[in-house]
Amino acid sequence: MSRLPPNAARSPQAVAKLLRDLGPQLRRGGDATPPDARIRTGIEAIDRLLGGGFPGGRLSEIAGPFSCGRTSLAHALLAEATRSGAVAAVVDVADAFDPVSAEGSGVDLSRVLWVRAPQLRAALRSVEQLLAVRGFALVLLDLARADLRVVPTTGLRLARLTAGTGTPLVALSLQRCLGTAAEIAIELKSTRANFGGSPVLLENLEVEVALVRHRSAPSGHTTSVRLHPTRAA
Amino acid sequence: MRTRIACLRVPDMPLVATLRAHPELADEPLVIAAAAGPRAEIVAVSPAAARHGVQSRASVAHARALCANLCVRVASPALEQAARSALLDAALSCSPRAEIAARASGAWASEATAYLDASGLDALFPSEAGLAAALAARAGKLGLPVGVALAASRSLARIAARQLRRPGEVCVVPPGDEAPFVAPQPLDLLDPDDVLAERLTHFGLHTVGDLLALPRRELGSRLGPDVLRLIAVACGEAREAPVPVFQTRALSEAIDLEYAIDRLEPLRFVLRGLLSRLLDRLEARHLACGELTLGLALASGGRDVRRVAVAAPTLELRVLLQHLLQVLETRSPPDAVVGVQLETEGSAPRSDQLDLFRPAGPAPAALGRALAELAVLCGSDRIGAPAVADDHRPDAFGLGHFQPTGVGPGTAKPQPPAGPEDPQRPSLALRALRPPVTAAVRVSQGRPDSVRSAVANGRVVRWAGPWRTTGGWWTPEERFAYDCFDVQTSDGTVSRLRFDRVQRVWQIDAVYD
Repeated sequence: MSRLPPNAARSPQAVAKLLRDLGPQLRRGGDATPPDARIRTGIEAIDRLLGGGFPGGRLSEIAGPFSCGRTSLAHALLAEATRSGAVAAVVDVADAFDPVSAEGSGVDLSRVLWVRAPQLRAALRSVEQLLAVRGFALVLLDLARADLRVVPTTGLRLARLTAGTGTPLVALSLQRCLGTAAEIAIELKSTRANFGGSPVLLENLEVEVALVRHRSAPSGHTTSVRLHPTRAA
Repeated sequence: MRTRIACLRVPDMPLVATLRAHPELADEPLVIAAAAGPRAEIVAVSPAAARHGVQSRASVAHARALCANLCVRVASPALEQAARSALLDAALSCSPRAEIAARASGAWASEATAYLDASGLDALFPSEAGLAAALAARAGKLGLPVGVALAASRSLARIAARQLRRPGEVCVVPPGDEAPFVAPQPLDLLDPDDVLAERLTHFGLHTVGDLLALPRRELGSRLGPDVLRLIAVACGEAREAPVPVFQTRALSEAIDLEYAIDRLEPLRFVLRGLLSRLLDRLEARHLACGELTLGLALASGGRDVRRVAVAAPTLELRVLLQHLLQVLETRSPPDAVVGVQLETEGSAPRSDQLDLFRPAGPAPAALGRALAELAVLCGSDRIGAPAVADDHRPDAFGLGHFQPTGVGPGTAKPQPPAGPEDPQRPSLALRALRPPVTAAVRVSQGRPDSVRSAVANGRVVRWAGPWRTTGGWWTPEERFAYDCFDVQTSDGTVSRLRFDRVQRVWQIDAVYD
């Protein structure tokens, strides 16, 4: 048997020191997303309302009319996911994703897979494919207005597909349509749009966020957020 | 390191090429004819037909007289070429240094041979016999029953392969044992020309040992330089160039149809068979299928060529077949199809270097398969990584290849996105409306006063603008000019309203959401 090199005895200590120095930057092997991982929005008030973020391996829902802030919330989720180096997917039945606005919100577009599904059936199968791949930190499903009547029958299927994958699946819609299949459901509405300055510009949009459903925590709480247009917008 | 050359040999390539494309004929009495018609000469005979007394060089009519249920196929250059390429792929599955031998003539005209440089490969296999067996198995998977021989040179390896009788047999000529091996072999294996073969027979020389027992100088002066070449081959002294590294990744499979096809369903079966053989060859060479080129030979004599884009290199038969059928369903061939060819440039499977500082993403192989499936579901032009286009148009964007790996060698590290000016101020995003929604707008004092549309309705309660955006003025097709406003209507919607000065219409192209 060959002899170990002279500094072999110091190697475990050197490795331990390296791990300490690297600290939280270092990710060790294992599943891409631990079972209880949550994806944060980066908006403190909303993360507090959600209890830390949207849970991995669960179906969640963000609903509200136009100008309620749901797309901004979606971009915030994408920014958080891609900022850490992970990849995310947007299954866009509504074909509403705006790359310019997303980049202005801090989204790393090179780490986003944009699937412009032509109809709901293709979108649901696309979601199924993406969840089966595993490794996506977030899958967003942006629904169009016409799909709302059909989606409730597939909400349970989506929830089953998501379970165990570790990937949060977040659906955006004009009004709630997933019922009890969603682990978390929030509703947004705009309260005030502020224009001002010289020249007059849209300065911010105030929205109210209401937690209308949370399977494992009390719901009914609300919070307010002020959203600011980016330079690109 | 000693030079070791492996020879993969298919003794009857016209027959094997046809059976590779039509495996259902494997147990049938089958002959391959040089041309169509009853007087055509038979060039290859299957074992089942041979049992009925059918022989090569007979006419088709004579063969049918011997065997009533004889199956006749015309020799197909397309199938033979594909089979020869597949033989080369079998060799390349074990070594990058491989080549296909030039077509032989005379008694060996039907054989196809591939050589590979097996020097050092015994480290990857249990033994040289193990290497030969592996080569035979891999060729068998590609529909090619081969005999495999290993020796010190191409010539000796070919001699050893030619004396094998059954598919799957292997022969290894150990280093230093060349002379005892070749001595009892018949002279025909050295492939002498007809004149020299007759003279050697006239002198009573039948085996290689007989030839090597005679003084070389006198033989040369008596029979000419050709006999010296034979002796050099037999002794392994013939100078041979090294087997080159095979550079091309392009693969092609083709088939000539027995009758013209003008419907999609039978064409689907043909495409499935071609794709299956193509993917087997790609897999043997550790490559994946990228963009496909589909060539259809038409009954009118023309050719219909289509390029089929693939979102990510894949070996999924179902996904690739779906791509091909979609292309054909979108635009049918202009005439009946009499021949089909599929070409692809093999791509290396995606790999990813694990990064200690990033979360582990999707496995490259699984991601590639998913992207291929998504391309079938949504269209290959509708999936990818979004990118901001260098264009002044309000909704200009690009959709590039989604490859979320780290920085590659020799490339600059991408700049992180600008992000919001203040991380504590959440961003307000825009939600695009594609296509823009037409709006009925009442204008008062040069600004929108009320809006009626599918998205925003009511009186304009707050507004900002206008901002003029123009561009593309150099061509009528590209010219655009918009006067844009940010407006909030009484229903609470905050949208981007614009007046298209070219089309003279009001539109809402985005909503602040």
